[in-house]
Amino acid sequence: MISANTPDLDYLRLVRQAKKLNVTGLPSLKLALLSDAATQQFVPLLRALFQENGVALEIYEAPFDAMELEAINPDSGLYQFRPNVVLLAHCTQALRGRYYENGGGDFLRQSSEQITGLWSTIQTRCSARIVQCNFPLPYERQFGHFDLKVAHSLYSSVSELNMRLAEAAREQGNVLLCDVEALSSTIGRKYWFDDRLWNMSKAFCRLEYLPQVAQALVEIVLATRGRVVKCVVLDLDNTLWGGVVGDDGANSVAIGPHGDGEAFYHFQQFLLSLKQRGILLAVCSKNNYDTALLPFAENPGMVLRRDDITVFIANWENKAGNIRKIRATLEIGLDSMVFLDDNAFERNLVRQMLPGVIVPEMPEDPADYVRALCECNLFETSSFSAEDMARADLYQQEAGRREQRANYASVGEYLESLDMRIEVGRFTKAKLPRIAQLLQRSNQFNLTTRRHNEAECERMRLDWQGCIPLCASLSDRLGDHGLISIVILERTPDALVIRDWLMSCRVLTRGVEQFLMNEVVEIAQQNGYKIILGEYVPTAKNAMVQDFFAQFGFENIDATHWRLDVANYVVNETYIQPALEPVFAESN
Amino acid sequence: MTNVATINPEAIKQRLQKVFQDVFDDETMQIHERMTAAEVADWDSLSHINLVVAVEKEFRVRLTTADVRGLNHVGDFIALLSSKAA
Repeated sequence: MISANTPDLDYLRLVRQAKKLNVTGLPSLKLALLSDAATQQFVPLLRALFQENGVALEIYEAPFDAMELEAINPDSGLYQFRPNVVLLAHCTQALRGRYYENGGGDFLRQSSEQITGLWSTIQTRCSARIVQCNFPLPYERQFGHFDLKVAHSLYSSVSELNMRLAEAAREQGNVLLCDVEALSSTIGRKYWFDDRLWNMSKAFCRLEYLPQVAQALVEIVLATRGRVVKCVVLDLDNTLWGGVVGDDGANSVAIGPHGDGEAFYHFQQFLLSLKQRGILLAVCSKNNYDTALLPFAENPGMVLRRDDITVFIANWENKAGNIRKIRATLEIGLDSMVFLDDNAFERNLVRQMLPGVIVPEMPEDPADYVRALCECNLFETSSFSAEDMARADLYQQEAGRREQRANYASVGEYLESLDMRIEVGRFTKAKLPRIAQLLQRSNQFNLTTRRHNEAECERMRLDWQGCIPLCASLSDRLGDHGLISIVILERTPDALVIRDWLMSCRVLTRGVEQFLMNEVVEIAQQNGYKIILGEYVPTAKNAMVQDFFAQFGFENIDATHWRLDVANYVVNETYIQPALEPVFAESN
Repeated sequence: MTNVATINPEAIKQRLQKVFQDVFDDETMQIHERMTAAEVADWDSLSHINLVVAVEKEFRVRLTTADVRGLNHVGDFIALLSSKAA
């Protein structure tokens, strides 16, 4: 889970910790480390921090400064290792050396093409995710303040190189950036660089700051494995505004762009930006419901409106119970929820009763709220798509559907009235970012929880002979759900195998999985298969689908494997219509 | 921990011993003047740099590249730190 506290990043503590790791039973991750700095100081820190975050790290250290050779040679240790993640840890000191030796007008183009070239080469040889470190701006300046006015100065070159890498990475879902420049500028480059250590041992930076790079990598990599915050649960009085609405009145609480309200105003702006990037906001307040709503309706200083809050709970019951209700409504895991409350009693209660929920300490001064949240780096992600921005609206529509459902005599009648349309087809290039994202995020309705990344999805997309990777999008009368389910089939000589099957919990109990199983059986028949095989790999979160195969008449072969005789399949009735003819045999 | 000029080599040795114990993660480690890397299994180039970093932190001094090059045995550490404190 994500820690609510800034971790203890003492260099020597981690070095000692790395000597006595116990990673038994932890899921493993293979990281290949390529750098033009020394890596041996970095490795123990990575091992210790990944272990503290519940991951057994296997590391491949490429030989010092052999990044190109490792990437180009298809038989190199890098590829034999079959990494999940390749870290390209370039450092400013080595770049600086090349600059002074070669300098000149072409340095920038050569440097950026050398790095993006590494990305392409590695991606043609393996499907690992790439994490690229950017460059801390150098401490030394040749022209003083004039440096930036000279395009080829070292300072300008590094600055521009970072921008080019960022632009290139935006086009490549499989390449993530580790913003080492942000780390070094937060600390101060005066302290970051230590040329003594560079000369003596090619150290990446002053060693006491190296754990911060390792921690950044932990956060980036774990976000790719689904460790992301999906919802922020907010207290109201003295958290979203200053004062107590029940005592002071809706128009007297402190909120607005000036004076006492400005700290809360800034905090609300930050929260709104989270909502706009797809993180849901919920309210959990000890108040009368109507009183709690008043500032949202009446106070002109509020940034957040009632519509921005997906679930709004205000009552006098204990907050742990209310957070459970919010969790159940949104169908997300407790460990993807953050609870923010100025009141230490409430924070501790939630910590004790719901240990999964992330509960950061809140600073005494509301002016520090945003800073405190950012210091925990709670909102790391590995992707961002148009659907993220629409997510809060989708949940809002779903809340509307739930209210409507109560008014229909039968569920069938209700589902029919929704006029659901589904589009099922092979993966397409354009859909890969969303497909990869759903693969990273889905925990509950997920039969195997394999976190294929974008590069692996692309490989499946192009594997016309062996693989049938399907995705489905659903819309209905009330709105568009976007891409909500992924079913990956594999052709084997004797059977059609369901490798992976997952679905967004937003569309549970609507018949989507029944519709898709009908499709899978049809595909099997069209391809002459008599047998369909399936697999269910239990995790802490996917008990919801433990009977998935049983409900469709599959027989249990062993603990995790299931088998269906196609002839015995009974077609399921659903209330879903195809939006387009399914495209299974689309040509390349 | 203050950087009061403790020129007393024995006092420096005591503090240095704690640094060695921390870096090599061995609370029972006893250092002596003639001790070199050859005597300590884990004393490689990596832990040598770790030692330097830990010594700098404990004694609040900054060692130059030449200082570090001259550190071959524990006695060198003590002599260097004595001269820095003086």
